[in-house]
Amino acid sequence: MIWKKYQNELIVLFAFLLMFAAYTYKNMQISSQAEQRAGANYSMAEIKEVIALKKIWSDKKTTQKIKKLQTLIPESKVRWSSKSKKLTASYKGLTASELNKLVTKVLNLAVEIQKLKVQKTASSYDVEFKCKW
Amino acid sequence: MGNNKELILAHSAMKHITLSDDVNVMLTPQFYTLKKESLPVSYAYQARKIAPSLFDGLLEEGRKYDYMVWKEEEEWVFLAYDLEMIRSFLERKGFALEHISKLFFAQQSVDLLAKPLAVGENSALVSLDHKAVLVPRTALGEEGTLAPFDNSFTPKRGVVLPGAHGSLFNVKQTAVLATVFGLFALMFFVEGWRYSSNVEADEAQIQELLEAYPSLSSKYTRDSIIGKYKTLDARERKKREIIKTLSGMIFKGVTLTSFDMDEKMFKVAFSCKDAQVEKRLKALAKKNKLNVSTVAESNDVKIEGAL
Repeated sequence: MIWKKYQNELIVLFAFLLMFAAYTYKNMQISSQAEQRAGANYSMAEIKEVIALKKIWSDKKTTQKIKKLQTLIPESKVRWSSKSKKLTASYKGLTASELNKLVTKVLNLAVEIQKLKVQKTASSYDVEFKCKW
Repeated sequence: MGNNKELILAHSAMKHITLSDDVNVMLTPQFYTLKKESLPVSYAYQARKIAPSLFDGLLEEGRKYDYMVWKEEEEWVFLAYDLEMIRSFLERKGFALEHISKLFFAQQSVDLLAKPLAVGENSALVSLDHKAVLVPRTALGEEGTLAPFDNSFTPKRGVVLPGAHGSLFNVKQTAVLATVFGLFALMFFVEGWRYSSNVEADEAQIQELLEAYPSLSSKYTRDSIIGKYKTLDARERKKREIIKTLSGMIFKGVTLTSFDMDEKMFKVAFSCKDAQVEKRLKALAKKNKLNVSTVAESNDVKIEGAL
C-alpha cells in the first residue's frame, strides 16, 4: 500500500508538478509570443510598407494629375506630348512665378523624373520636362 | 467502503496485539465525547465550525481535539476526539500505525447495536437512547445475548490517522500546500493562455489586412513589390530633396541661370550680384554638402552632383 503510505506527499508532489507544468506552459507561451510577435510585427510593417508604396507609385489618378501640368501654364507656352504612361513637355517663356508653380507641382507628383531642364533666356525661363509613371 | 479489511474494536482493556496486515479500527466511547444538538444549520461544515463551542467545559483543557459531525434525522451528532491520545493508546497496544487504514467511532454504527456487543471480558457496547455506551456485562442480566463483532460494523466514513504512515505532511499541511500550488498553477495557466490569445489578436490583424489586399498574401509578391518600388521611392525622393535644397539657395542677389537634371546627375548654375553674395551662396552649398565650383572672372556659381 505504497500509495496510502505516501498519499500526502503524492498529493503535494502532484500539485507541485501541476504548478511546474503550468509555469513551463506560461514561459513557453511568453517566448513563443515574443517570436511570433516579432514575426507578426515584421510582416505587418512589410505589408503596410507595400501598401503605402503601391498607393504612392501606382496611383491610378496620376494620369489625371499629370494633365494639370498642361493647364497650369497658358496654353501658348506649352508643347505637350503624352503617350501611354510617358510625358514629354516643354514650356517656353515662363515667368519666375510660373516656373515656381510648375516645379512645385512636379515635385508633388508621384512620377519618375527622367529629365528636368530649366534655362534662363533674358528675363524668362524655358523648361523641358520628361517623366514616366 | 473498506470493509474488506479487518475491523478491530479498540477499548481500554484490550490486550496487546501484533498486526501483519492493514486494519480498520473502531473506537469505543472511551475515546470520544458525544453530543447531540438540534441546530438551525443546513450544512455539516457550518455545524463543524460551531462544534468547539458546543463542547465548552466538557473536554479536558490543554488537549487538541478534532471533531466529526453528521446529521441524524432532526439532530446533529457531534463527536470530539483527541487524535494524539488515540494514537499513543494504539501504539501502546501494539498497533503499527502504518497498518491502520481508518479510525471509526462506535457511535457511527449505533444502528447495528440491536444486540449488545462484547467488549473485553467484563463490558458490553449497547445502544441507549440511540447512543453507543459501554456498560458492565453484569448490567445486562441473564437474557442479554451478545452479538459477534465483525467487518459489517464498518461505517462508510472514517478518519485517517495523521502521520500514521510516517508522512512528512499532515492533512492540513497537505491541503494548504496543494491549494497554494493549485492556485499558482491556475494563475500561470491563465497567464499563459492570455499570452497565446495576444498572438492570435496580432495574427487576426494581419489576416484582416491580407483580406483587404489579397494579392499581398504571398511573401514573394511582397518582396517583389518592395524591390521594385523601394529603389524608385528612394531615388525620386533624393531628386526632390535636391531640387528643394537648390530652391532654398535662391535668395536676394542670386538668379538661377540654368538647371539640368536627368536620372544620373544634376547640375545648376547661379548668377550672383556680387562677390559677397557669391561667398554666401558657396557657404550655403557647402553646408548642404554640395559640390561647388566657380566660373572664372565672374560671380557665377556652379553646383553639380550625382544622383
